Parts: sequence; C-alpha cells; structure tokens
Amino acid sequence: MKHIQNIDYAMREFDAITREGEELVATHCAFCGMQCGMNIRFKPDTKEVLGVEPRYDFPMNGGRLCPKGVSAYRQVEHEERLLYPMIRRNGKLERATWDEALDLVASKMREIQLQHGKDAFGIYSGSSMTNEKCYVMGKFARIGLGTKNIDYNGRYCMAAAATGFKQSLGMDRGSTNPWSDIKFADVLLIAGSNTAECHPLSMPYVWGARDRGAKLIVVDPRETKTALVADLHLDLRPGTDIALVNGIIHVMIRDNLVDHAFIEAHTNGYEALKETVAEFTPYHAEMITGVDQRKIEQAAHMFGKAREGMVMFARGIEQHATGSDNVSNYVNLSLLTGKIGRKGSGVATFTGQGNGQGGREHGQKADQLPGYRVITDPAARAHVAKVWGVDESEIPGPGISAYEMLKSLGQDIKGLLLICSNPLVSAPSIGDIEERMRSLDFFVCIDMFLSESAELADVVLPSTVWVEDNGTTTNIEGRVIRIKGIDRTPGESKRDWEIIGEIAKRLGRGQYFDYGSPEDIFNELREASRGGVADYYGITYDKIDRMDGVFWPCPSLEHEGTPRLFEDLKFKFPDGKAKLHGFTHTGPNEKVDKDYPFILTTGRVVYHYLSGNQTRRIEALRKLCPDPYIEIHPNTAAQLHIKNGEFLKISSRRGYITVPAKITKIIRPDSLFVPYHWGKQLGINRLTNPALDPKSKIPEFKVCAVQIEKAGEEDIKHAQSALY
Amino acid sequence: MPKVLYIDFERCIGCRACVIGCEECSGHDHLSRMFVDELTPGETVATSPTPCMHCYTPLCAESCPVQAIQVMDGVVLSASHEKCIGCKNCTYACPFGIPRVDEAKKLMYKCDMCYDRTSKGRPPMCVSVCPTDTIQYVDEEVVKLKNSKPVQYQWQFGATEIETRTVIGLPDLAGHKYGYYDAEESDPYVGQT
Repeated sequence: MKHIQNIDYAMREFDAITREGEELVATHCAFCGMQCGMNIRFKPDTKEVLGVEPRYDFPMNGGRLCPKGVSAYRQVEHEERLLYPMIRRNGKLERATWDEALDLVASKMREIQLQHGKDAFGIYSGSSMTNEKCYVMGKFARIGLGTKNIDYNGRYCMAAAATGFKQSLGMDRGSTNPWSDIKFADVLLIAGSNTAECHPLSMPYVWGARDRGAKLIVVDPRETKTALVADLHLDLRPGTDIALVNGIIHVMIRDNLVDHAFIEAHTNGYEALKETVAEFTPYHAEMITGVDQRKIEQAAHMFGKAREGMVMFARGIEQHATGSDNVSNYVNLSLLTGKIGRKGSGVATFTGQGNGQGGREHGQKADQLPGYRVITDPAARAHVAKVWGVDESEIPGPGISAYEMLKSLGQDIKGLLLICSNPLVSAPSIGDIEERMRSLDFFVCIDMFLSESAELADVVLPSTVWVEDNGTTTNIEGRVIRIKGIDRTPGESKRDWEIIGEIAKRLGRGQYFDYGSPEDIFNELREASRGGVADYYGITYDKIDRMDGVFWPCPSLEHEGTPRLFEDLKFKFPDGKAKLHGFTHTGPNEKVDKDYPFILTTGRVVYHYLSGNQTRRIEALRKLCPDPYIEIHPNTAAQLHIKNGEFLKISSRRGYITVPAKITKIIRPDSLFVPYHWGKQLGINRLTNPALDPKSKIPEFKVCAVQIEKAGEEDIKHAQSALY
Repeated sequence: MPKVLYIDFERCIGCRACVIGCEECSGHDHLSRMFVDELTPGETVATSPTPCMHCYTPLCAESCPVQAIQVMDGVVLSASHEKCIGCKNCTYACPFGIPRVDEAKKLMYKCDMCYDRTSKGRPPMCVSVCPTDTIQYVDEEVVKLKNSKPVQYQWQFGATEIETRTVIGLPDLAGHKYGYYDAEESDPYVGQT
C-alpha cells in the first residue's frame, strides 16, 4: 500500500522485471533534483552493473526517465573512471598509493595552515552528493581543517531562490508543495525554466494540470518546448524579470485581482509594493521587457482570476545580479492573490542539482550549520558544537561564497580541496578562474572522472559513483529519499566520506569522522539538524523506505513529515506574516552597447548534466548532443550573412569561443543562446559575467553583452580540435 | 483486448529517452529501434517519436525473400537471426522507413513492441520511460474508437491504403489544448474588468 502522501503521484501499477541471474537495486537517478526512482540491474556475484529497469512504483516518476536517467548507469563501468590516486610529479599526474597521496594531502594542509593561517585552506564542495557527504564536508571544514572557507557549487544554482524565499516567506524549502499538487493548479506560471528539457519528469504533472484544463503561462526569452505548448508565452528580453512582474502586479492591483483579505491578514508591505509598481503600466513594462503589453494584461488576468495556482521558476530568473529579488517578486504573485498553502497553490523553484536541496541545508554553505542553521547564531553554534563534541569556539565563523573563493585562490587561499564539482566549466569567467587555480600552492581534487578542473590538481583522489554508496538525498519537493548502492569500489577507488575520514585521521582529527556507514552519519545529521529549520530528526532510513520518502520538517519519530508548507498560513517571521517586497527595475549588470550589441544567455540541454563531467562521457548522450552551438535568430543571421552551421566567434569583455551557428526562430533576434556543459575552448562560461547578486552571491550567468563575427581560420581550427 | 502503441506527439519534448530506453529491453541487443524527428526544424522545437507502425498487412514481411519477419499477436517482430540475410528489402518496402540493418551482422532490427516485456504484461520500454506519456500502451479498440482527440491509423500511399495498429493522435487545431499554440497569430487582448 502506498502511503497517503503519495496517492496523487504518477506511479504505475507494474512490477519491475528481474532477469535471470541478475538482481535489482531500487535507487534514484544521479542527475537533477527530480531524483527519479530507478532500478539498477547488476550481477550479484561480480557486482557488474548491467542496465536500468523502470521503477514503476516510485511515486515521483512512476518508472519514467529522461535520456540522462536511462543512461546514468553507463558511467559506472566506464573506461575513463579514475581507479587509483594520482600525484603530480614533474608536471604530470602519476599513479601513487593511497598512503602517499593522503600523507601528501595532510602534510600540505598542515603546512599551508601553519604558514598562512587556518583559513588559507579552502574547500569547494558540491551538491550532487548525498546529504551524508554534504554534512561531512561542512563538518570537516569547520572542525577537521578548522577553516571558515567552505562553500559549494549550489551557490551558482540555488542560492538566489534560497535567499528570495527567506526574505519573502521567512524560510527556504525549494517547493512549498508536494509535486503532485501541480496537477491541481488552475494556472501554472513557469518562469525561467525550460522544464521540458531540464526537469522532464515534471512534465507528467504539468500535463496533468493541462489535462484538467489548467492554463500555462511560460516566461522565457526562448520558445522552448515548455513555451511552445503554453497558453501564453511571455518572451521577455533577458534580465527584465522585475519589470515584467511589476507590470503583471500593476494590472492585478488596477483590475482588483488581488486578495485583499489575505494581504491584510497574512502579509506586510503591500502599500509600498503598490507604490513601486504604480509606474509599471503594461506599456512601460513592454518598453523594458519587449513583451507585448496585451500579453502582460492577459497574464495578470489568467493568473489573478484562477482559483488555485502555482508560481514556479528556475535559473532563468535566479542567475542574475538581482536574482534574490527576482525570486521574491515572483513570490509576490502568489502572496498577492493568496495562492499558497493549499493543494494546487504555492511556489517552487526547480532544483537543478541532484541534491541541490539537501546540499544547501546541512552546513557546507559558507554561512551555515546543519539543519539550515545560521553559523553566526550563538544557539545554533552551541547545539552543533554539542553534537560534534567540540567547544563552540572551535567552530569558525562565516566564510566567503563560491565565486569569491575562486577569486581568492593563490591570494588569501593558498590550498584547495575540490570535491564533486568542476568549476572550470561551471564558474563564470573561467579564463580568469583557470589562472587563479594554477596559482594555488596546493590543489587536491576528489572525483570519479578526470574533469577539466581535476586536470590541474596536484593530487587526484578517485571516488565512487553514486550507485556505489548508500545515503540520502532531498529532492526538488523537500522529500528525503534513499540512494541505495551496490557494494563495489572499482580499482582502488574509495567513497568520499571514507576519503575525508582518512584525511581527518592524518590531521589528528580522526575521532570526529570515525563513521562505520552512511547511516551512522545520517543519525548524527538527524541530531545536528534537530530543532533547526530543516529538521530531519524524525526521519530514519526505515521510515524513508516505508513511506517512499519523508518531507522535512519531521521533528519527531512519530511525525510523518510535512509535504505541504504554510497550510496554517503562518510564515516564518516573528509576526507570522509573509513579506511583500517591492523592487524597481535596474536591469542586468552589463548592458548591451555598440561594441557588444547582443545579449548572451546560457542554459542546459536535456542530454547533459551541469558541467558534463559525467554525461559528456556517456556515448549515447554525447552522440545526441556532442558539442555546443549558438542559437541565432534568422533575421540576425541574415543581417550578418551567417549560414546555418557556420562557425561564429562570440566574444564578451572576458573572453571568446568559436562554435557553429544554429539558426532558429526560437530565440529572440536581440539574444543568443549557448549551452554551458563544455569547458576549455568550448566553454561559454569564458564569456559570462561574474557580477554577483549582493544578497545571495549568485553570479549573473543569464545575461551578458557579446558581439559575434564570422570565425577566422585559426579560430575554427582551434575550436575543431576540441569538437567531438 | 490487444494493446497497441498510441503516439500523442503534442506532448513530445524531443528528449529521446525512448530512443535510448529502447536499447535497454532484453531482446534488443542494445540497438535502438526508435526514431524521433524534428517536425519544423529552425521554426520550432516540435518533435515526434516514430516506433514501428505495426501494419495489419506489413509490407516489410511481404517483401522479405526468406520470410524472416514474423507477426505474433499482431506485433511485427524483428527479423529472425537465423533467416535474415540483411538484404534491406524490408527497409525499402516499409512506407514509414522503420526497419534498420546492422551492417556488421547483416541483420535487420526493428521495433518488436518489446515482446520480452509485453509478453510479461509490462509496457514496452519506450512507453515505460517516456517522461511525458507521449508514447502510451493502450487498448486498441478504446484508442481507435473512443479517444478524446482525433486519431489516425489509416494511411494513403498512392493507391495503397495501409492500416496500422499503432495509432497517432492528431493536434487539436481547433482548441489548441496542447501545443502548437501560436501566440503571435492570436489576439490575447483582455479588456479591463
């Protein structure tokens, strides 16, 4: 029997097929925050991984998978797996023993910290790891190394949503509602999310709503597949979300489509917001956004008049220098119309990374301790210090954010431990960042493949892939689920938490990291998070199995979790009221001019995950999207006499790359799009703008000013040498 | 009641999970038998999957000189390993261009509706993985007679009419319920209330 929390989901009534001589392990996908359920087929004797079998009974996806999910297992037996530790000798990475490598790492850590202070060694972590590993990284930084400088790649991903939710609702859980609620909305407003490509398994819910007659409004500069099937596509100029939403709010207030009783009882700040949007008439909004004012009117009516509605968004609105405020302005739409805290009404961000939710809750963020606690809060410090068995004074204060850390490499930060991330693809302005990484005194990287970043390391430590370890992740909805692994460690590879334990031992801090299993770590995490915002105390491995996942907060062993937040309309501020914030349009940090006349925006394709370190190696995915390209509108292409497939050199103030043109009407004539999954001379992040949102420190990946020209022979040759 | 494939291509997101998923069925030797085509390249991102249409009178089987292509329970199977000579007659005969030939093995392969799965009461792999339920495995009579949107399963190729078990859902051009809604051509104006 399915638990009652799961009855409205997309599961199907079939059993998986177990083939003769094989076993299945019921786990979840390695990619994206959907964390779709899947079975991995393996040989019980040799532990060889053979393939994938649908997990029809898992609520979220009912066995359905995107192409990444189908082929995720193909990284396991991959020939490019790192199988032994490597140390750089005479400029080359050479095979070493674990003892040699770990001793070197520990001695360099000691040496650098002794010479330059504790904070001179930084940790750059990732959010595609289990909660257990993310927790261990935060703990290792604070009381293993004793450095304040730890941050993680979620800073590029979820930071603006988190900050925006906190400033509007008082707390951040990526979705206020369980995903099955989407089906019960009468209107869906999806902004800056190419849901169809980036979260394909959300589509059964979007279609579920559509099947019930829901209207779909999509805000996106491109006519993505999600936009193509929308009732209303608001094709805004990149970087103008504030003005667009102000226009919609203006119409909703003008036409009395707001819920005054809700605003009065459950929010603060309405009058100031009203004043802010007064000047944003539909005409004014059209002038800034390029969206036909009639569509702005229609969006306001479509959303305002609906009974239930959800506002959902992703990196398209978040990766801006005003990212947190963009988020809060979209949340305003829900608050103004009282669409929150009910089945079919709420707000959500589409979590990009596999554990983008859990990874930002348990202390690997620069300013945070487990349970979503704030590192400067004395009570939080005291609680966590007690769980860790240390004195409160041993826990350092807040460190600096991911991009700021990369900028400090070689200066304040002399040594770096990189785990579960590939910033030389995923950071903005990677030409500059590469130089910084090369200037480090010491750089150790833990990974299962030799990423573009790992190639620069002094020591590379081989870890396992996701299905070779146990643990939990927290999905897009805030549902904590179990990743179940097969007991195998190819070659000499070790699990991340075991590697960290080994390093801690060599630093004389082994007693704090002496875990027997991921479940040991989880049980400590439960205590550490107890009483915090993200309270996992009542979640156990058994309960997760029994309920197909448990939604946090879950404060006691009897508690069955919290699928839907704010049902009591008590927001997490002292007076229980949500905050309406008004924002005025400032536009992107970098504006187009005569030298750089086009807007560049970047994003993902369905075949690749983040920096592509895994998916670019999987042949089936690589064949479907081997190389980056630049989407350019036919009118723009005609003006510049560019033919389809012709190589273009695209440059910003920070760098350039050369890629083939893909002429398509799905992009605005004033904008260009390049997917970001590649590095080196194909990395579009050579061009992107590292301007940070002052509140969340997320970089402005989504807008920068560029110019394009036909590529010369040298540039084409250079690009071609890297094309697949 | 026999089950057939139903393609509601307005839901297709072009992700090709079906193409890769097809490789995962036990009878498929890791060779995909699925196709996904762009419908209006350069104009929109609209796509559609094409599995075997499973004709009532399969021209592939009729054209096979060695009778390697069998029909079982209405499913046109892949060519028999023993009999197939890799001549490609079937590829040329098929009006939908479905059968492919493995040049190395000199062996035709095509969609067999995952006979290994459907014979055990499970949906084919493409249906199992499709994120959007674009490809469905449904009762033939229900989908052909009582579907909520118009369907097509009879096809005219010159003078020849072909009836297929696979059913294609046609876009709802009147209501624009899903997809292919051209906001440019519509008048979205909503007056003040």
